[in-house]
Amino acid sequence: MRKRTDTGAPAALCSGMKSKRSPNQILATLSKVALRRVASVGETVDLVFGQVLYEQGKIERYVYFPMDAYLSQISSLDDKTRIEVGLIGAEGMVGSSSFFGVEIAPLYTVVQGSGTALRLDALRFVQGLARDPGFRAVMNRYLYVRLTQLGQMIVCVRFHTVEQRLARWLLLTRDRAGSDTFQLTHEYLALMLGVRRVGITQAATDFQKQKLIRYHRGSITILNGAELQAASCDCYAAAERIYEQHMN
Amino acid sequence: MLETLDVPDPRLNRLLAALSTTEFESLEPHLEWVHLPLGEVLYEPGDVLAHVYFPIEGIISLLYVMEDGASAEISVVGNEGMIGVSLLMGGDSTSSRAVVQSTSRACRLSRQRIKAEFNRNGELRVLLLRYMQALITQMAQTAVCNRHHSIEQQFCRWLLLSLDRLPTNQLTMTQELIANMLGVRREGVTEAAGKLQRQGIIRNNRGQINVLDRPRLEALCCECYSVVKKETDRLLPHPAPNGA
Repeated sequence: MRKRTDTGAPAALCSGMKSKRSPNQILATLSKVALRRVASVGETVDLVFGQVLYEQGKIERYVYFPMDAYLSQISSLDDKTRIEVGLIGAEGMVGSSSFFGVEIAPLYTVVQGSGTALRLDALRFVQGLARDPGFRAVMNRYLYVRLTQLGQMIVCVRFHTVEQRLARWLLLTRDRAGSDTFQLTHEYLALMLGVRRVGITQAATDFQKQKLIRYHRGSITILNGAELQAASCDCYAAAERIYEQHMN
Repeated sequence: MLETLDVPDPRLNRLLAALSTTEFESLEPHLEWVHLPLGEVLYEPGDVLAHVYFPIEGIISLLYVMEDGASAEISVVGNEGMIGVSLLMGGDSTSSRAVVQSTSRACRLSRQRIKAEFNRNGELRVLLLRYMQALITQMAQTAVCNRHHSIEQQFCRWLLLSLDRLPTNQLTMTQELIANMLGVRREGVTEAAGKLQRQGIIRNNRGQINVLDRPRLEALCCECYSVVKKETDRLLPHPAPNGA
């Protein structure tokens, strides 16, 4: 299991070699000096499933760079009227408001997969950016990617079926979780995708019949990723391409 | 290009208006006026952006276009904003299509100039970053609205966001174009518009939409309109007192 002995050491933050942790890919692009600086003002925190990091409209005090945790960013009007607009893991970060010079969170953010993240005070984060042009540049690129993916999300929600979007979401979760098996309820999925529960159940049952997934007591296992990708809309692959193109 | 006789104040754009006199005066010689006629495409996805645009009037729609060609509007920009934020984020090309939805005049700045300004860490950078946050809010709200609200409500939202950027209650727009913006079938828009017309809220005539009863239009609309408007007003500089 996770050891806390290497907490805070730059190697643990950006390299998966020594620890079992996934590296955070944004931090991995920083120079050694910059990374050490970031690590010295930040702390590694354990995030647990269901933990709320930001409430929409409230202050964002911290930014988080997930290592093996992953987080849902949700746009909501009220408890029932909501939709997930981002699933963020080690490839990204949350809490960009301070980057834009704003304190207030535009999105509700909740831990979807338990794990660790590097947490920085928002002010320290902004100071770090001011000091390091490399950090600024990678954040610029990342936020451009997110802005593009957000646009794509809007169109995906408009045009694609529940099946396509469910398949996309399962693949994305597999990537973020780093595992073919993860915990999920139909109810939660319905909330994330902004559809009725019965729609999710129907689509999941179809996938199960086609042996693309196995669903048992709130646990989903992807059995055939390639076929599941074929069942998803192109948005899954397109979002990955957008990321690769600008971040690597 | 515009006639030199009729040069308006670039500060009719709310971002430029919020600059201090010194900052504005250093920028002014680099601003170039352009006329943006209805239907003009400022850029397509993948285009390398040579300029950013600060509209002083009118409406420019940003659409996300998927690889199979399906598209929908992700945000609207008027005199409160700027077109071409991706240049500032280090991407020289853009991922969206920008179309003039209502004839506009705008000041443009070259790529080199806006990048230099942005990297200088001055007032414009602060304003533009806040503007990006406002865009993110608008987009996130659009995602919820697209998923949960009826075409009629979305049509109301779209009308209101458009009206806010126009000097009159009249909009020149075919239902086909509106359907393209909303990413819905034309019949859906025709039906929604017909309903509003029967209730005496709008009058629809040959590509012209007149809004007759704005309060009722607002009452029929989903909350998404007021959420976006409130957030935009909170994040962006307030309109000039002359109502620009």
